[in-house]
Amino acid sequence: MATVITAPAPTATAVPAAVRAVRHRRRIRRADLLTVAAWTSAALAVAMCLTHGVALAGIGDVLTAGGIVAGLVGSDLVLVMLILAARIPLIDRTIGHDRAMAAHRRLGKPAFYLLLAHGALLTLGYAWNDRTNIIAETTSLIGAEDMPLAYVSIGLFVAVIVTSLVAVRRKLRYEVWHVIHLLSYAAVLTALPHQFSQGTVFAADTAQRIYWIALYVLALGSIVTFRFAEPVVQSLRRRITVDRVERIAPDAISIHLRGRGLDRLGAQGGQFFTWRFWTGRTWWHAHPLSLSSAPTPRTARITVRELGDGTRKLESSLRHGTPVSFEGPYGIFTDAARGRERVAVFAAGIGVTPARALLERLEAGPGMVSVIVRASDPRSLFLWDEILRLCEGRGWSAWVSLGPRGDGWLSAADVARGVSMRSAFPRLADSEVYICGPDRWADPVEHESHHSGVTAAHIHRERFEL
Amino acid sequence: MSVRGTLGGVFASVAVLIVGWQIGSAALDHPTATTSTGGTASSGGSTGSSGSTGSSGTGSTGTSSSGTSGSSGSTLKDGSYTGKSVQTRYGEIQVAVTVSGGKITDVTTPTLQADDGRSERINSQAAPMLKREVLQAQSASVNMISGATFTSQGYLTSLQSALDQAA
Repeated sequence: MATVITAPAPTATAVPAAVRAVRHRRRIRRADLLTVAAWTSAALAVAMCLTHGVALAGIGDVLTAGGIVAGLVGSDLVLVMLILAARIPLIDRTIGHDRAMAAHRRLGKPAFYLLLAHGALLTLGYAWNDRTNIIAETTSLIGAEDMPLAYVSIGLFVAVIVTSLVAVRRKLRYEVWHVIHLLSYAAVLTALPHQFSQGTVFAADTAQRIYWIALYVLALGSIVTFRFAEPVVQSLRRRITVDRVERIAPDAISIHLRGRGLDRLGAQGGQFFTWRFWTGRTWWHAHPLSLSSAPTPRTARITVRELGDGTRKLESSLRHGTPVSFEGPYGIFTDAARGRERVAVFAAGIGVTPARALLERLEAGPGMVSVIVRASDPRSLFLWDEILRLCEGRGWSAWVSLGPRGDGWLSAADVARGVSMRSAFPRLADSEVYICGPDRWADPVEHESHHSGVTAAHIHRERFEL
Repeated sequence: MSVRGTLGGVFASVAVLIVGWQIGSAALDHPTATTSTGGTASSGGSTGSSGSTGSSGTGSTGTSSSGTSGSSGSTLKDGSYTGKSVQTRYGEIQVAVTVSGGKITDVTTPTLQADDGRSERINSQAAPMLKREVLQAQSASVNMISGATFTSQGYLTSLQSALDQAA
């Protein structure tokens, strides 16, 4: 196997422990501020309505006011979701891509219910005050200016949210889901006109109107900038092409890439990119993959496990010279996100890829790093020889937990031998913990780490499953 | 999502809501449409020559002759005047004024048509508020009713054309 470990030397400017701790504290504070900002934006949406003065004379007014507030908060949450999904560098460096997306997913249902309530409550409230029935009121509403678009919008939101429900999502191919999910941009835009022409909160020449427009510009501008413009510019500049494809295991391949200035992509070990390979059969599939070794100016390497249709086609489709576009780098599965000197790394399956890249660039003295790699059989033990060589070279310890999984996250054989979190990582409580692997395995690891006294701020987890 | 972040978010939100509520109740105490020009109508009755300070010295006929002038320089002739009909985004509006003793004593809406139920309701709320403001300000220089921008615009445009006839 012709695997080469590139650029193994840690930089001479090792970060002092105190600086590392301060940097970590600052990052956690930034994360808290982002949380505060998200809360405040929702409160501001309600406050905008309150500043007009709320006169509730009767059921109709209560329903109407509730509908307006639901619409405002629901729209605000949708904008927060857009911002979370926009890959804004500040947010990515602060909470990491996977936590941002977890928050994005958590907000989905509340936002959706609020938007449905907005439509329902306003229809009921208007009907009550106009002393008509719901059908007549709905007819009159659809007839109003910009309202047909608003109904289109809610229809699109229904499609987007329903296809994102876990149960439905599992049945859909990723690409189908993704195309439907892109409709959310249309949903946001079609909802916009009626807010200004029908809504009473954003009357012309008010501060409310300016704030609301600014919020939309921020959210949509971030999407356009960081999800479209930036990746296109970067991809054109780096001119990445496939060099060769190397089979490293029965179900895993390494793709060697060539390009310009790849060491200046700014990727820290452990970050990932979203790759697109431009052949007729593969261009529509985006692959979220880490670099599996630190890049040189002209070369980089990614390692893929063939789990889905998209990845299985790769080996047969890719040729020397196939153009590649990318988005990234994303994620904080990195040395820079660390707050402590001692490090524990847990990797399973293809999760060893970012773990290996992280280890390659980790600045830590001998004895400070412990790595455990989990695999159900030797054939799915990817890159193990490279990880072992890295660790031996730096005086770190590395183990494998091989065989069918027992109760918990270790192999059944290890559990039988009496291996536990405590025996494997006696100093876990004051370690920085990095976990990367399938959720079913990573969940118990994270849980036990918590149990051993590691706070969430010191646990870094890279999620592969979307 | 740390506890500190969540608590901070909750406190900040509560603060924002309280401020919004305060602004809102202040707006309710003083109705949203307030006079924009400081036209304090001299409701005391015969103020005599008080209005004559107006800069328009040319036509010396009008100013103080009627005895009960408004605070502004122009005086309104008694009578009923109907403004032009204004087509707004949501319907047609026409305003009529009655001037008696040089003052606007009544404002009516011969035409207050709305294209849909929603606008009808808005109109029926906004028209009395506008009337009150106009009677108080004795002019068409009053602010829009928030939430009824188009009604306000149409109403005040028609009103101004009626007042122009009375001038």
